[in-house]
Amino acid sequence: MSVSAAILPLLFVALVAYALCKRVDVYEAFVEGAAEGLPVLLKILPYLAGMLIAIRTLRDSGLIDRLVSLLSPVSSRVGLDAALLPLLLLRPFSGSAAMASLADIFNQYGADSMVGYTASVLMGSSETIFYEVALYFGAVGVKKTRFAIPVSLAAMAAGVIASVIVCSVFFS
Amino acid sequence: MSYIFSVMLVSGVLTLLVRAGGDAVTASMLAGAGEAVTLCLELAGAYLLFMGMLGIARRAGLMEAMSRRLAPVTRWLFPNARDASGPITLCLAANMLGMGNAATPFGLEAMRALERYNPHPGIATVEMCVLIAVNGSALQLLPTGLLALRQAAGSAAPAAVVVPSLIASAISTAVAIVLCRFSMRREAAGRTRRTAGARA
Repeated sequence: MSVSAAILPLLFVALVAYALCKRVDVYEAFVEGAAEGLPVLLKILPYLAGMLIAIRTLRDSGLIDRLVSLLSPVSSRVGLDAALLPLLLLRPFSGSAAMASLADIFNQYGADSMVGYTASVLMGSSETIFYEVALYFGAVGVKKTRFAIPVSLAAMAAGVIASVIVCSVFFS
Repeated sequence: MSYIFSVMLVSGVLTLLVRAGGDAVTASMLAGAGEAVTLCLELAGAYLLFMGMLGIARRAGLMEAMSRRLAPVTRWLFPNARDASGPITLCLAANMLGMGNAATPFGLEAMRALERYNPHPGIATVEMCVLIAVNGSALQLLPTGLLALRQAAGSAAPAAVVVPSLIASAISTAVAIVLCRFSMRREAAGRTRRTAGARA
C-alpha cells in the first residue's frame, strides 16, 4: 500500500475522532456541510455548459487541427517539435483531449523518446485553464475575471518554454 | 471571458457549419452540454464527500484554527484571504499531492469564502485571480494520471519525468506569481491615473 494513498483516509479518521472529542454531532455536521455543496453544484452547471459547448464545437470543427498544420513550420523553427502542437493547443481547454493526444504521441514516438519526454513534462506542468476559470468563477458567479486568464496563459507559455529547455538538458 | 467565449463559439460553429452542415453543429453543441451535465454529476460525488468533511472540520473549530495558523503563510500570496486561508491551503496542498478531485471542492470553498468579503460582487478579487493563476500553473509533486499513462504506454522509466515536470511547473508558478503582482500594480496605477484625471 502506498503512503500517499493512505493520507486521505487517515485524515478522515483523525478528523472524525477529533470532532467526537470536541463533542460535535458528527453526522449532522457532515450533512450540513454536504448540503452547502448542493447549490454550488447547481450554480456551476450553466458555466460549465457554456464553456464545454464552446470547447466541443471548437474541437469538432477541426479548427485546432488546421491551426496545428498552420503553425507546424513556425514551431519547428523555434525548436518546438511539431508533434507537440496538438497537445499544446488542446491542453488549456480539455484535460481528457490532452490526455488522448499524449497517448497518441506515446504510440507514435514511444514514451521514452525525446518527444515523449517533453510531452509528459508539458502535460505535468500545465492545467486546463479555461475549464478551471469557468468552474472557479462559476461557483461564485463572478463574470469579470480581470487578469486571471491572461496571467494563466502567460504562465503556461513560460511552463512550455521551460519544459522544452529542461527536457533538452535532462534527456540528451 | 465574454470575448473568449464568443470567439471560440462563433469560429467553431461557423467552421463546423460550412464543413459538416447544421445537424452536425446542433449535435456537437448538445454533446458539449451533455458533457457539462456528466462532469457536474461526476464532480457531485467528490463535492458532497469533501464538503461534508469540511462541515465536520468547521463544526469542530478546525477550519478557523487552521485559517488563523496559516494566515501568516498565505498572507504573502493572498493578503486579504481572511477565512479563505484554510480552504486555500487545503486546495493547494491537495493539488500538489495530485489529488485533483479533493482539490476542486476545496478550491470552490476558497472562492466562496473570498466572495463573502468581496466589496464588488461579480468582479474577481485579486486573491481569486492569484488562486486561479497559481492553481493553473500546476505545481504537482506527484502527477499520478501522467505516470499511469506512461506506465501503460510501456515506458521503462515512468517516473523519469517527475523532476523535470516539477522544475517546469515551478517556473510556471513563479511566472504566474510575478505576473499577478505586476497586473495588480498596473491596475492600481491605472485607477489612480483615472481618479487623478477626473479630479483635474
